[in-house]
Amino acid sequence: MRIPFIFATALLAVTPAAAQLRVDINSGISQPMPIAVPAMPASAPANTAAGTTAELGVRIAEVIANDLGSSGLFRPIAPAAYTTIVTPADVLRPQFAAWRTVAAQALITGNVTANPDGGITLACYAYDVFGGDELTRQGFVTTAAGWRRAAHKCADLVYSRLTGESGYFDSRIVYISETGPRSKRIKRLAVMDQDGAGHRFLTSGQNLVLTPRFSPSQQQITYMSFEGNRPRVWLYQLGTAQQQAIGQFQGMSFAPRFSPTGQSLVFSMAVGGNTDIYTLDIASKRLTRLTSQPGIETSPSYSPDGSKIVFESDRGGAQQLYVMNADGTGQSRISFGDGRAASPVWSPRGDLIAFTRFGGGRFAINVIRPDGSGERQLTNGYQDEAATWSPNGRVIMYQRSGRGGPPSLWSVDLSGQNERKLRTPLDGSDPAWSPLLD
Amino acid sequence: MSLSVAHLPQPATTAGLNVSGPEARALIVATLAHIALIAALSIGWAWAAKPLPPADEITPVEFVDIADAPRVTRPPEPSIEAAPQETTAPPEAPPESQPVPAPTPEALPAPDAKPEPEPKAQAKPAPAPKKPVAKPLDTQTLSNLINKALPKAKIKSLNTSDLAKTIEAAQPKNAAIDPRAAATLAQAIRAQVAPCWNPPIGGADVRRMTVLIGAEYRADGSVTSSPRVISQTGVSGQNKDYARAFAETARRAVLRCSPLKLPADLYPLWKSVEINFDPEQMT
Repeated sequence: MRIPFIFATALLAVTPAAAQLRVDINSGISQPMPIAVPAMPASAPANTAAGTTAELGVRIAEVIANDLGSSGLFRPIAPAAYTTIVTPADVLRPQFAAWRTVAAQALITGNVTANPDGGITLACYAYDVFGGDELTRQGFVTTAAGWRRAAHKCADLVYSRLTGESGYFDSRIVYISETGPRSKRIKRLAVMDQDGAGHRFLTSGQNLVLTPRFSPSQQQITYMSFEGNRPRVWLYQLGTAQQQAIGQFQGMSFAPRFSPTGQSLVFSMAVGGNTDIYTLDIASKRLTRLTSQPGIETSPSYSPDGSKIVFESDRGGAQQLYVMNADGTGQSRISFGDGRAASPVWSPRGDLIAFTRFGGGRFAINVIRPDGSGERQLTNGYQDEAATWSPNGRVIMYQRSGRGGPPSLWSVDLSGQNERKLRTPLDGSDPAWSPLLD
Repeated sequence: MSLSVAHLPQPATTAGLNVSGPEARALIVATLAHIALIAALSIGWAWAAKPLPPADEITPVEFVDIADAPRVTRPPEPSIEAAPQETTAPPEAPPESQPVPAPTPEALPAPDAKPEPEPKAQAKPAPAPKKPVAKPLDTQTLSNLINKALPKAKIKSLNTSDLAKTIEAAQPKNAAIDPRAAATLAQAIRAQVAPCWNPPIGGADVRRMTVLIGAEYRADGSVTSSPRVISQTGVSGQNKDYARAFAETARRAVLRCSPLKLPADLYPLWKSVEINFDPEQMT
């Protein structure tokens, strides 16, 4: 092989500059990218509180593969198809040729080491298999018990490097766990990782709870509870399990959400037969009324910059979406067309609002631009409602119920593809996605 | 554990003890065994006591514990300087009609030309997903190449204005070549590269983004080196990461679909190619 190359090189010296051919490619394929996430080898095998570093290497690779696969943008290749086993040396110098034979376009590898303080370090690497070069690398130090978070961080790193957008895997979901007959439904606050791991209940189920929402710091949840038969907005401190009503108001308060700074809440309150939107400064307990029209104004949600609020109102006869400035001025309707529109939630990117569209006896999740243009339908179930955005604004989780069936949690990506059901121990409704954990 | 310790050879010094004969030996063995047992137990205690994971209970405190941010560190640099240069041509079975060695645009550095060890083909246990273009080079007519519809490629049927545009685009800048040959070549390249291009069309900025990639080919159709980005449109301060990922998908498409199957006699025309990737028909 060497001789032709030398010959060719010699020819090049006497050949004039070659003509340039130009090719235009206007379409490609839209498929999940095949990736390989082999078990991470233990370069220095050791024990940790969560298992040996070799065991952790296997489990961390599984979590990363599951995260990336769940996005619908990547397709982890089944480990049984691998033609090579990753050794510690391969982490820094992968066998690219072997990964090409299984058509993996990216390789995610790394290693887990035990730290003297009992913690672990996950070194995470991503490679472009066909280019044969390193894409990114990052180390994550955490407690042994925090290995799943380190794996999610690694998956977020790879996701953002390969898509150019921020990830969403190191995040949590708070939702309403439901069980029991329709007449005696028990509803509890529950929280879990976005992949369903680490599930736990936060309330006992004695009182009916609804509409939980994370604070921007992820340390608080605001929700509505019927505690004492008084439907009111409550706050739950995740660090201390402390629950408290936000204040003694005249009427029923509901549909709370945090402002983007986390310093105030916006919610609805029914006073004297009129339901309007209010804000409450959490520290000073100062209450401000934002709307005053007759009719029901509810489901307020801030834009990510805090300058505007989208909400639903039936002031025009049926529920529709309206946008106003954060001080209540400049209210204008943004949703039109057949049917009703409710439960809006502003994307963390700011470019879209997701909501529930009622029409033709069905509920669907739609998105619309804040100026009312570009409405499109994402889901096509019998009853899909209660949308919440992933921290990067690429995925929407919602509650789906069949005809008379119990609700469960589903997710769909912004293109309307990749619908997935999230497994929960009991029925699930009203999910709210946390921001990315710090 | 304690059993093996009990069988340990006895120490040489037993002088300090006032017991003699077999009794003394038994006592020493028993003492040693007890010490060993206590030591083994305390080691066990130390293991059990220190690193027990926090009980996985429904307590919000745990949430906060888990929320401790992993510290970010830099893993060690690789000991090798750079990723290995590799050939993507099939290692075995040289094409039946080897094209005449033709000029390559750049000299290959001798030390880097070592191909990676290819895995044994027989050892492959599971059906590997098929590579888009992997058949060995053979002599096919130009029309065969063009007519061959590659799977999954969404190629627009050619109309005359398109063809004229293609011919214009394919017209070499500094050489007089047959425009029809250039156009058909461009179409053959498009038909082979497009099925390997998987652009990130979900991105918010995809509509305005295109990337022009320069690729040099060997006479066997393989890419000589890493394709380069000549220019890119639609890049702003906010979307740099996305723009990089976008350009990489184009580069990856050229690498994945190497080697190209193109007529050897036209090699001077396709030795160096500029490919413009624009997902306009996908968005």
